[in-house]
Amino acid sequence: MSDVTRLPPAEKNELSLGFLKLTDSAPLIMAQELGFYEKYGLQVDLQHEVSWANVRDKLVAGVLDAAQMLSPLPLATSLGVGGMRAEVITGLALSLNGNAITVGQGLAHQIAEHGGDPAQGACSTATAFARYLKSGDRQITLAAAHTFSCHTLLLRHWLRAGGIDPERDVHIIVLPPEQMVDSLGRGIIDGFCVGEPWNSMAVQYGIGTVQATGYQIWNNGVEKVLGVTENWHQNNPGSHLRLRLALMETCTWLSHPFNREQTVSVLSEPQYLDLPPEVLRPALTGQFSFSKGEAEADLPHFHVFGRFQAGFPWRSDGEWLLNQIGDLMGKTLPAEDVRSLVQRTFRTDLYREAARHLALPCPNQDYKPLGQHSENWEIEPGIELGPDLMLSC
Amino acid sequence: MPKQDEAAAVLRVILVDDDRSRATIVERKLRDVGFEVLSVIPTASGLLYQMAQQEPDVVIIALDSPDRDVLESLSIASSHNPRPVVMFSEAGDQSFISDAIRAGVTAYQAQDINAERVRAAIDIAVAQFSAFNNLREELDETRRQLEERKLVEKAKGLLMTVHKVDEEEAFSTLRKLAMDKNRTLGEVAREVIEILERTQLKGKGR
Repeated sequence: MSDVTRLPPAEKNELSLGFLKLTDSAPLIMAQELGFYEKYGLQVDLQHEVSWANVRDKLVAGVLDAAQMLSPLPLATSLGVGGMRAEVITGLALSLNGNAITVGQGLAHQIAEHGGDPAQGACSTATAFARYLKSGDRQITLAAAHTFSCHTLLLRHWLRAGGIDPERDVHIIVLPPEQMVDSLGRGIIDGFCVGEPWNSMAVQYGIGTVQATGYQIWNNGVEKVLGVTENWHQNNPGSHLRLRLALMETCTWLSHPFNREQTVSVLSEPQYLDLPPEVLRPALTGQFSFSKGEAEADLPHFHVFGRFQAGFPWRSDGEWLLNQIGDLMGKTLPAEDVRSLVQRTFRTDLYREAARHLALPCPNQDYKPLGQHSENWEIEPGIELGPDLMLSC
Repeated sequence: MPKQDEAAAVLRVILVDDDRSRATIVERKLRDVGFEVLSVIPTASGLLYQMAQQEPDVVIIALDSPDRDVLESLSIASSHNPRPVVMFSEAGDQSFISDAIRAGVTAYQAQDINAERVRAAIDIAVAQFSAFNNLREELDETRRQLEERKLVEKAKGLLMTVHKVDEEEAFSTLRKLAMDKNRTLGEVAREVIEILERTQLKGKGR
């Protein structure tokens, strides 16, 4: 492991980091508990934020130094869509996967009636959902946690795979993650795509049934990243490097399944997620239930931290995400612009700099093929990646 | 107060803030200056409905409302959003936006409204939010001082009974401790109370 004394000094030792109430904020939280920030000479104040807009604005205003961010958000912010424009970059991805699509019991019953079975996979439920929509004229409202999120993209991809037009056949709205379960219970929405623990909470309350996991729709899709403004990085390159190192060591620690139970109990504490351990356990341990009372399925990749080069901010993923953002805006972004914006935003050079200090192997290329591997594979000798298929029915 | 221009006077505002006393102050000020405050709501859970019904020109929203992502989703033009909103940022310089964020407030405006007119409303909100936050900090400070005074009194009392000294001596002991340890009087008082209470309990135990 790295020799801290040989690192460039931290320009700033006291950092404020923003996180949202989600199980994949585990890297930011466990780094504090395990003393990794301290190891790199950083004193970190973790701030619970209630919206991604807040995270972005507080980064730009300098109230936060760095934050957990949805992977499309640095791109959307640099593009200036949906809020204020600012150059936000990432040199480290924090996690892969972690989301699921859950519908209320009424709609779950209809999907089952039309032959959909979550145990048979995401295509079974998507095509059954399409059959149900064709047979009736009920307006279905689904919610995602943010416009420019993997949740929106996964939800639209799942619908399309089943033959549903996300623009015309259903109504998709945005709701804060913490309001999803309540809104589903009160019948304001019929279903949602959100990160954990909100799917498991709906399942355990008997309010909803999971129809698809994020992994089933996009195997090992990049979910959360560490975001900072370009300006902050320029002024604090040493602090930024130390922060990435602390988080990378934490992600390696999190990649060991036997550390996940400790993570469940730490995250449930009042100063972090403040939720019962049983709600956090399914996603973090990969023992996941699709509906209440049902046997747990073994989903070891529900959250991926540290494995499969999860921390590497692939520019190919960035380009895919940015093109999807364009699609959401109803326009095609010029390929040249996409390439250059992603190069500025997904900083593979910063990842490699940190990996060198930790003597971790990392890819030499910035781009990888998407949707071609159903098994683990090696992109370069010693660099193992996970499956990367996208759902198609 | 600058003279209001007619355009500003008719700007229609929805205010979202779950701090009711703060919201009341901001609302009053906005009305005083001639803005039309359509509604003041604690959370944005009913906001989409209200926006469709009332078509505000500007929504002023407390930063810590979880519903900001909902509001921003309205900026994406679609058949469901008859009146797209944009974050107030175009007309404002970066430092103005940062000041607003630090004060804990931000705003969204209808796309077709002149940003200059919106700025006046946000100026008021920012000023009121800052004033309110300062007031709250002052209150916290007063409360802290009061608490400290209580601790010092208690520590003095304990010193007087345990060590059989008079009030003056008890106080100078505390002050000397604080100076030697380079700590505040309150901190030292808290420690002294802890130690003396523990030894008193032990004494009783025997």
